[in-house]
Amino acid sequence: MVTKSFVDILVVALPFLYTGLVTVYGIAFFRNAVTVERLKRPYMLALLVLHLVYLGLRTVAFDHPPITTVYEIMTLLSAAMTMAYVYLEFRTNIRNTGFFILGLALIFQTVSSVFIKDLTVIPEYLHSLVLGFHVSAAMLGYTGISIAAVYGLLYLMLYHEIKSSRFGVIYSRLPNLETLETMSHKAEVFGFVALSVAIVIGLFWLPRVFREFSYLDPKLVGTIAIWVLYAIGLMSKRRLGWQGRKTMILALVGFAFVFIAMAVINISPSSFHTFH
Amino acid sequence: MNLFSVGISHHTASVDVRERMWLSADEAAGVLSALKEHFFAECMVVSTCNRTEVYGVLRDGVVDEGAVKRLLLDAKKADEGVRPDHFFTHHAGAAVHHLFKVAAGIDSMVIGDIQILNQVKEAFQSAGEHHVLGPIMNRLMQATLHVGKRVRTETTLCEGAVSVSYAAVELASKIFADLSRKSALLIGAGETGELTLKHLAGKGIGHIKIANRTRAKAEALVAELGGTVVDFEQIVDALRTVDIVVTSVNSPSYVVQPEHLYSVMRQRGNNPLFLIDIGVPRNINPASRKIENVFLYDMDSLNAIVDRNLEKRNAELPRVTTIIRQEMVEFFRWHRSLQVAPTIQDLHAAFEQVRQQEVEKNINRFRPEDRELVELVTRRIVNKLLHQPLSMLKEGSENGSGGPETINRVKVLRELFGIGIKSKRDE
Repeated sequence: MVTKSFVDILVVALPFLYTGLVTVYGIAFFRNAVTVERLKRPYMLALLVLHLVYLGLRTVAFDHPPITTVYEIMTLLSAAMTMAYVYLEFRTNIRNTGFFILGLALIFQTVSSVFIKDLTVIPEYLHSLVLGFHVSAAMLGYTGISIAAVYGLLYLMLYHEIKSSRFGVIYSRLPNLETLETMSHKAEVFGFVALSVAIVIGLFWLPRVFREFSYLDPKLVGTIAIWVLYAIGLMSKRRLGWQGRKTMILALVGFAFVFIAMAVINISPSSFHTFH
Repeated sequence: MNLFSVGISHHTASVDVRERMWLSADEAAGVLSALKEHFFAECMVVSTCNRTEVYGVLRDGVVDEGAVKRLLLDAKKADEGVRPDHFFTHHAGAAVHHLFKVAAGIDSMVIGDIQILNQVKEAFQSAGEHHVLGPIMNRLMQATLHVGKRVRTETTLCEGAVSVSYAAVELASKIFADLSRKSALLIGAGETGELTLKHLAGKGIGHIKIANRTRAKAEALVAELGGTVVDFEQIVDALRTVDIVVTSVNSPSYVVQPEHLYSVMRQRGNNPLFLIDIGVPRNINPASRKIENVFLYDMDSLNAIVDRNLEKRNAELPRVTTIIRQEMVEFFRWHRSLQVAPTIQDLHAAFEQVRQQEVEKNINRFRPEDRELVELVTRRIVNKLLHQPLSMLKEGSENGSGGPETINRVKVLRELFGIGIKSKRDE
């Protein structure tokens, strides 16, 4: 009962806390304020811990990990993006891109908090550990792809400022083009590998669990199409030496495709793959 | 306060005057000794291309400004061309304020100059090595360096390139992550082009190539900076293998055309190419700017960066002024504490506080009729303990208040008994 109360509080609090975090990162980015600059890291770490606590409490309160509905997965995706950003910020010491990455985490968490339902009764197969791996890998994959897209967008903004000699806050505060491209590429490779793992687990596990399994299932076909698209993109970069603006546009196009495909597929009633 | 400063700077004298007054390390050592001998209890000299300035604590509070200027002129044998009105003078707070402004970089020719702080630091060190510093100048050094450090960490006064050549290097750093893995080609050996290449070399550029119509000039530059010489006729071919190109050629027509670059970009796998055209007239056809992953900058666009950065630096001036004001308050608070009268008061107060605490703690051990006596006796003990040190302080002060010996005594007393430390902590 206490656990459920905490979940109820956190489900409302998290979007506000993320709004606060994004605001702090925004002020640090646009105003370069020293006080806010000192505040943002501890705030982010505290919020990440709180978000993980929320996921843990949710798992305990409803007796299943939050991977059974789109909105449960969205809060997981939001936490994964924050965690990925924490890793990137500490690993590279590039502290000025949080406003953009965490902005995406805010959107996912807000949508999740608004629509999430308290489900206690779910099918038995949704308790499976394999499902946990499958969904986690898919989440990491989409996190990687999303982060790659954000860095791609930042690259294009900075590219435009440098090309047009209009030096604004983007020019002053972002790292250099080559670093943004490298970060986008690494996130893309990470996302691609994680997505590959999710697909492999799914192809082995899904036919065993779902009697109505079909290789023509829209989500399966859509995910594989996304995978093929990214495989072609990464191969082109490697084999044809594509660099710079063109590859960043591809990262954005890929992300837009993922977003649209996933929205359509999750709405589609014909899939066995909608979980709950 | 007996601080005095005199000197010339770019505000008061042109470069030909300043260069006459510039002091080498040996000359500065001689000047320091002479100044200490004739005028100052403590002193130092800052001499750079933009200023030659003397700061010192006067021996007896008065100074013959003309005599100090004469000493400097004689040291440089610079009577011709240097007039008395080329010198500025500042006294007391104004001298401290001026030194703080110099260290902050707001008195420099280019506002936000980062070299000046090191030059001031070296001047202090040199004065220390020649044993012409004392407690006031040492404290002034700490405060000055603190001002410089705060300005650099708490403001953006020193950020952004303010010369065309640095602006080019700054742009390169905004395109490429690691310049040590990149290579640069200099086409032509004009002065600004050469300077840009030197800045790139300073930033650790991986490899340098130089092409010039007069090959000998390119070879001379390669001997200085390292790298390789490229035939002037082969420059388009060389574009395939470099990341940064600086052109500074005296040519009536464009040396690099878009069609060259379309072909080169294909050959180099569309790797970003940064072109800095500082030739007048321009050496690279501006239509090249449209090519993907080609970043072309000419003098106008680089000057625009410089102007923007200067504007930003000027916008930081109020914050710098606040830092200087805060540090001046702190310095003068310390300086006031060196005066004899406040020290005597502080010492009395500190001892009285200890006496009262101990009496209060133990008073119940005495009979009520003895308590008045306890007060009296303890007060006498404190007064007797303080008699000797306070007499010495007063004596020093009467013989010449503010002299180095008195200042040292005050300083030692305050440090020994922790006077001022506690109140500062409380604040």
